[in-house]
Amino acid sequence: RHIGPSASPVDRAKDVTMPAKLPVNFFSSGSPVTDFFQGQLDYAERIRQDSEVTFYFFYAPWCGQSITVREEIEQVARRLSDQVLFVAINCWWNQGKCRKQKHFFYFPVIYLYHRRFGPIEYKGPMNAAYIEKFVRRVMTPLLYISSRSKLLEFLSDYEPGVLGYFEFNASPQPPGYLTFFTSALHSLKKDYLGTIHFGVITNQQIAKEIPLTHSGSIYLHRHVNTSLIYPREVMNYTAENICKWALENREAFIHWLRPHGGKSLLLNNELKKGPALLLFIPFNPLAESYPLLDEITKVALEYNRCNKNQATEPAVPHLKETDSSPLESRMPDVHTPLAETFSITKYPCCNTVVLPQWYSISRTHNVCELCVNQTVGVKQSKVNLPQCNFLEIEAALDSFYLKEHTFFQVVSNTIECSNFLSYYSPFSYYTACCRTINRGLMSFISSEKTFFQTPKAAFSSHAKKCKVDTHSIPHIEDRNCLIPGSHIGGTNITGLSCRTNKTLNLYLLDSNLSWIYAERLGASQAIHTKEFAAIVDLQDEAHYIMDQNQALIKSTLGKVFSGAPITGG
Amino acid sequence: FNGSLWPLYLLMDLFMDPYGERVKSMFYHAYNNYLENAFPYDELRPLTCDGQDTWGRYCADLRFSVLTLWILGNVSEFQRVVNVLQEGVDFDIDVNASVFETNIRVVGGLLSAHLLSKRAGVEVEAGWPCSGPLLRMAEEVARKLLPAFWTPTGMPYGTVNLLHGVNPGETPVTCTAGVGTFIVEFATLSHLTGDPVFEDVARKALKALWKNRSEIGLVGNHIDVAAAKWVAQDAGIGAGVDSYFEYLVKGAILLQDEELMSMFLKYNKAIRNYTKFDDWYLWVQMYKGTVSMPVFQSLEAYWPGLQSLIGDIDHAMRTFLNYYTVWKQFGGLPEFYNIPQGYTVEKREGYPLRPELIESAMYLYRATRNPTLLELGRDAVESIEKISKVDCGFATIKDLRDHRLDNRMESFFLAETVKYLYLLFDPDNFIHNNGSNFDVVLTPYGECILGAGGYIFNTEAHPIDPAALHCCRKRKEEQWEVEDLMREFYSLKRSKKFTFKQTLDQRDGETRIPLLSCSSQPFNSKLAVLGQVFLDNT
Repeated sequence: RHIGPSASPVDRAKDVTMPAKLPVNFFSSGSPVTDFFQGQLDYAERIRQDSEVTFYFFYAPWCGQSITVREEIEQVARRLSDQVLFVAINCWWNQGKCRKQKHFFYFPVIYLYHRRFGPIEYKGPMNAAYIEKFVRRVMTPLLYISSRSKLLEFLSDYEPGVLGYFEFNASPQPPGYLTFFTSALHSLKKDYLGTIHFGVITNQQIAKEIPLTHSGSIYLHRHVNTSLIYPREVMNYTAENICKWALENREAFIHWLRPHGGKSLLLNNELKKGPALLLFIPFNPLAESYPLLDEITKVALEYNRCNKNQATEPAVPHLKETDSSPLESRMPDVHTPLAETFSITKYPCCNTVVLPQWYSISRTHNVCELCVNQTVGVKQSKVNLPQCNFLEIEAALDSFYLKEHTFFQVVSNTIECSNFLSYYSPFSYYTACCRTINRGLMSFISSEKTFFQTPKAAFSSHAKKCKVDTHSIPHIEDRNCLIPGSHIGGTNITGLSCRTNKTLNLYLLDSNLSWIYAERLGASQAIHTKEFAAIVDLQDEAHYIMDQNQALIKSTLGKVFSGAPITGG
Repeated sequence: FNGSLWPLYLLMDLFMDPYGERVKSMFYHAYNNYLENAFPYDELRPLTCDGQDTWGRYCADLRFSVLTLWILGNVSEFQRVVNVLQEGVDFDIDVNASVFETNIRVVGGLLSAHLLSKRAGVEVEAGWPCSGPLLRMAEEVARKLLPAFWTPTGMPYGTVNLLHGVNPGETPVTCTAGVGTFIVEFATLSHLTGDPVFEDVARKALKALWKNRSEIGLVGNHIDVAAAKWVAQDAGIGAGVDSYFEYLVKGAILLQDEELMSMFLKYNKAIRNYTKFDDWYLWVQMYKGTVSMPVFQSLEAYWPGLQSLIGDIDHAMRTFLNYYTVWKQFGGLPEFYNIPQGYTVEKREGYPLRPELIESAMYLYRATRNPTLLELGRDAVESIEKISKVDCGFATIKDLRDHRLDNRMESFFLAETVKYLYLLFDPDNFIHNNGSNFDVVLTPYGECILGAGGYIFNTEAHPIDPAALHCCRKRKEEQWEVEDLMREFYSLKRSKKFTFKQTLDQRDGETRIPLLSCSSQPFNSKLAVLGQVFLDNT
């Protein structure tokens, strides 16, 4: 290190300095991007006046990121230059207008203008597909819903949707339409990935399907919770308010994580909310349809339905029952979904049981997760059994009852776990983790009661399911042994068992952007499909990964979810 | 580069390959221009295409860059330069020299070249590594520095005359780093030559600083070495102090010395308590702990790298990411950056192509393989080429606000900046050896293991082979210890987390964590890549 100036010779050459090199073209001359490499912001502003949509790329010629992103911008420009004006501005050159007027802390900066509205800063991933998608959203912030099928399509999207109904009889424009249009643009300022979709209905018949009757009403569609209508009487009808209302009330049962690369607490904040299922899928923002994403959405909805105890459909159910009231809260349908999602076991065989109501006066339930752990002398081939032997779990339960465990006396909010050996098998032992749940809080338990009224009934229903399900089990590996410094609470509890008080949060990550996190969690590079699933539990310092040889499809995903015990909240 | 070693990341495969080559051509552009236009002057003047002396015609650029040459794989040029160096320089000259700079650049450079010369194919004499012309030169220079240490406190004067010793009337005020940046070179010298005087004076100076720390555990940045009084009471991690902290850590690792490490850890705690705000480190009054200067200095960017050496990857990465934002704002690090204002400080707007941030990136990349660190490397290559490359070399950026250039190319650009940049991009460099291969040499004291990795860079980026320190002592036990360690290493095949803790004397019998072991990383560290940081789990 250098603690003082080195001795300098006394001569004139010492004082020689040289001004910065003159700026040169950053984009090639044949490029569809107009390059103001001397920072002529005034010219750029002038030519913007003639264009409906303008894309500004502020760069510094020395900046590595600007250089890397340059190719991506050219790609987008080649596809959209007939509809969008692409302008690059050297905002570093200190003689240029741009540098004198703008003060950026990083480069490149991307601004979009829709006529006079703007700037909308794009802060999403710096690759061509994402940028193009965003530009297209700025070009068409409102989707025109012209038919019933378009409406269904719009509403079935997993991302939140806002619909406005405007009658275009009046000229030139129905009142409030411009505000609604602006709010759609406005949302892109806050929501740079464009997760909230905005649509407009002009046909009275289609509007009735929702139903919206008054021109100017705005509707926020939600899958799990009740959908909402913009409360004009409470909030002023402004673009900012509509956008704010949509952002605040939107539902996010699927959450995309797209770390931008700069210093960020995104993962820290999300993972501290509780155990998380991270799904890595390759995502093309420009694709027409997303079959894999639709599957995931279905599973996530089912999972949420279990938790929230509400019947929900990906589409709008009352489109079929035309006379039902739109804002009526949907009746819970408690019995049907539980059988599917609740009693699926995994290796080591586990099952959630509610202890029989021997003290039904109590307002609480003891819920136990009962597992059979194979330990000594069992070969690895055991892992490949499609399902846990039904007899095994029954024996475990018997054994559990025989022990007359202390759980019956304890009313506890904490989880209590105990291991007990089977009396007939020296090679396996059972684990039971129990906790007490307030009945009022967990209404689904009351339905569960019918299934698990007696252990026999419960497991026979389970066994029946086993026969139909010939799919291999989700092979959830515990990789902790490979990771120094981490540990799992008790090596005898393998897999996902005994975490009964935890709900999984679902997150999606684009493998094309974030595959490094998958690798850090143990994804293999040898497998070519970039699909990967892992459960990360920051608090317990544990993570579990799904066998990459299994395709990420609904049935396997369902099992991953059910692997996360859904008791508790 | 071996593609399979790299994490697949969106942009990495696009720029991994070319960047290492571009760093190489950067080096040769500067080096060849020095040889053509400036040799035998000390430094190249890139704007006027001539040379100047900053060291009293010591051919500074040639000497300081010789090790970079070798790291870049140019063995023949390395051999040629070493031969030039061996022709000798007369140090019996009436020149006032900075004790600190002479140590880190001249003594450190000579020791490093001496230790690495065999591997580079230079013919060495029979007693190597315990004797040799470069070692003798290093010893000769170091002896000329010793009079500076003859003070009441043991803390050295800042300047010494190579012929007459300390000038009468020499100022006793010197900076903290000028007192505490000797242990790496001087201990190496003592171990190789067998004369303990160098290590002793270096230790004595370190202890004197430790004794004079404030009640809250901080040190100022200038001290009166005769009276042991703090003259400048600003405490921070940057200019005037930096390499003192660096040498506590590096000295501890080099000498496996727990005392030095425990000193550092206590400083580290005080620094964190009083100077750290939001992952920035500010300057505070050393006695009161009140903020005196909310400034980030370019020199401070070594700190994340140092933290990585003690295993504190988490804090290191968070601070690194702060510093990186400053780079992104200007295309370099200004000497001073006002944190609250988010801008440069008057008269401190320059960037003389300093290595510190790149050095930290290199260490952190070894520890984390976080692609963000390669991005910094990419940005550094692009910035330096676009902004400071001129016909005759690379010029200091005089002002980062407009990228005006100055007629200097400081010697640390070739000796450090390019070296760390290259090491960042070259995963297979011998410097990164993890002990999986080594040399056995026969010394007068028996067989000895060398080149097993774990190189300690002195503060001027000259690597020292720590294994060599065990070669030249008569104590057999010490050699056996090294041999045992190597045997143990091979029995623990493929265990990357090998540390020396097993052989440290467990005198207490308690289960305390050895100071010199590396702590395991928190669970969330596996996801702390690409800018993601995690807050302390408390």
